[in-house]
Amino acid sequence: MLALDRVGKTYPNGVHALERFSAEIRPGEIVAIIGGSGCGKSTLLRAIAGLDRASTGTVTLDDIAITAPHAKIGIIFQEPRLLPWLSVADNIGFGLTDLPADARREKVARALARVGLADKAKAWPRELSGGQAQRVAIARALVPQPQVLLLDEPFSALDAFTRRDLQDHLLDLWNDTRPTLVLVTHDVDEAVVLADRVLVMRPRPGRLFEVIRINLTRPRDRSSPLFENFKRHVLTSLDRSLDRNVPDADPKTMAGEAMWW
Amino acid sequence: MTMTVELPALERTDAMASQASPARLRRYARPALGLLLPVGLALFWELWVGLGYSTGRLVPPPTKIFATVMELAKSGELSRHITATVTRVAAGFGLGVAAGTVLGAISGYWGLARQLLDPTVQALRAIPSIAWVPLFILWLGIFETSKIALIAVGVFFPVYLGVMGAILSVDRKIVEVGRTFRLSGPAMIRRILLPAVLPAYVVALRVGLGLGWMFVVAAEFMGASEGLGYLLIDGQQLGKPAQIVAAIVIFAILGKTTDWLIEIATAPMLRWQDAFGRQSGAA
Repeated sequence: MLALDRVGKTYPNGVHALERFSAEIRPGEIVAIIGGSGCGKSTLLRAIAGLDRASTGTVTLDDIAITAPHAKIGIIFQEPRLLPWLSVADNIGFGLTDLPADARREKVARALARVGLADKAKAWPRELSGGQAQRVAIARALVPQPQVLLLDEPFSALDAFTRRDLQDHLLDLWNDTRPTLVLVTHDVDEAVVLADRVLVMRPRPGRLFEVIRINLTRPRDRSSPLFENFKRHVLTSLDRSLDRNVPDADPKTMAGEAMWW
Repeated sequence: MTMTVELPALERTDAMASQASPARLRRYARPALGLLLPVGLALFWELWVGLGYSTGRLVPPPTKIFATVMELAKSGELSRHITATVTRVAAGFGLGVAAGTVLGAISGYWGLARQLLDPTVQALRAIPSIAWVPLFILWLGIFETSKIALIAVGVFFPVYLGVMGAILSVDRKIVEVGRTFRLSGPAMIRRILLPAVLPAYVVALRVGLGLGWMFVVAAEFMGASEGLGYLLIDGQQLGKPAQIVAAIVIFAILGKTTDWLIEIATAPMLRWQDAFGRQSGAA
C-alpha cells in the first residue's frame, strides 16, 4: 500500500506548490494524476519518488516512510534520460549491479525482447527514435521489478501514434508483474485508457479536487461510448477545478484525513 | 513539408548507390588535397633555388633542411635534443594535468571550494604565463625545475577550466537517474560524472598539451644547453636557418603526434559520441 498523508510542499522561494494531498493506492492499482499546469502534480510525484522531500505530511510504502529514492520505487521521466555513453543493453542493466554478470545479462536480454528491441542491444541511445528510447527507459525502470512505478508525463513528447502504441505496451508490461502505477499526465485520453482511478488536481496551491473511478474492463476500447463518457467526466471535472467558485469535490480531503476508497 | 523531407532522402540514396569505390577514393583524396599546397610550395622553392634564381641562404630549400636533420641525427645530437624537450613537456604536462584535474574537480564538485578558489585561479589566469619566467628563475634556478614549472603553469589553466566547466555542465537530469538508482557518492562519480565529463576532459587535455609545446619553447629560450628550443636559438646566433626550420618541423611533427596519441588513446571511451556523426557522415 502506497499511502500519501497530507503531503504538502512549499519551495524555498515561497511557492506553495502542494497542499495536504492524501490518497491511498492499492498494490497493483493504476492511478492517473491529472490537472492544469502548476497544480503540483510533478511535485507530488517527486515527493513519492523520494527525489524531493515533502515539507509537510508523509509518503509511506508498506509503512516505510519514503524520504529518499527507494529500491522498490522506480520512475520514468518525460524524457528517456538514457546514459549516452552506455549501450542500450547496459542502460537497461544500469540498476542491476548487485546481480552477477550472467544473471544480469539474462534479465536484460529478456527485457529487451519484451520491449521489442532485441536487435538494438548494442546500439547507442543516440541511434534510437524517441519512442524506442522511451521503451528502453521503461525497460530500465521495470527490470529491477519495482513495487511502484512512477511515470511523469512519460509519453507527452511523443507523436500521437507512438504514444498510443506505448500506452498499450505499458499496460501489457504492467500485466507481467502488476506493479502499482502512478502516472502524471495532462492527456485525458491517456488517463482514461490506463487508470483505475483518475485523481483530478486543482492549482494554486496544488491539491486534490476530485477522484474519478474508471469502471471499464481492460483492454479498453478508445472509441466506445462508455470511454467517451469517462473522458467527458474527467474533462468536466478539469474545467470545474479551474473555477474558483467551485469548492473541492470531496470535503474529507479538506479536513486533511487520509481517505479509504 | 513532404518536399523538405523527401529531397535529402533522395539525395542520400543516390550518394549511397555510387558509394562503393568513389567513397574510398574520396577518403584518400581529401587529405591529399590538403597536402597539395605545402608540397607544391616546397617543390617550387626547391626548383627555384636549384635553378639559381635564389641563393636560399635565408630560406633554405627542403633538401638542405632534410640534410641538416640527417646530419644532426647521425651525430646523435638530434635524439639528445628531442629527448630533452620531450622529457620537459612530459613532466610539465603531467604536473599541470594532475594539478588542473584535482583543483578543477574540487571546484566543480564543491560549491564552497569554487567560491574560495576560483576567483584566485581566474585572476592568476589573467597573467600572461611568460611573465612568470623571471620569478621562476629566481625561485627555482635556471635549470630544469623552472622550465618544467613554466610548462606546468601553461598546461594547468585549460585543464582546470575544462574539468570545472565539464562538471558544472553535467546534466542534472542524468544525475537524477543516478539518484533514483540510489548510487552512492563514489558510484555516482564513477558511473555518471566521470563518463559525462570525459569528452570535455579530452578536449582540455589536448588544449593543455598544445600549450605545453608552446611553453617548452619559451622555457628553452631562457637559457638551455639542449632541447629543440636551444636548436632554434643556436641556429639564430650562428646564422643557420636550416637548423631553425628543421627544429620547427620537428616541433610540428612531435606536437601533432602527441595530440594524435591522446586522440587514439581516448577514442574507445568516446565511441558513443560519434555514433551519430558516423551514421549521418556516411551519406
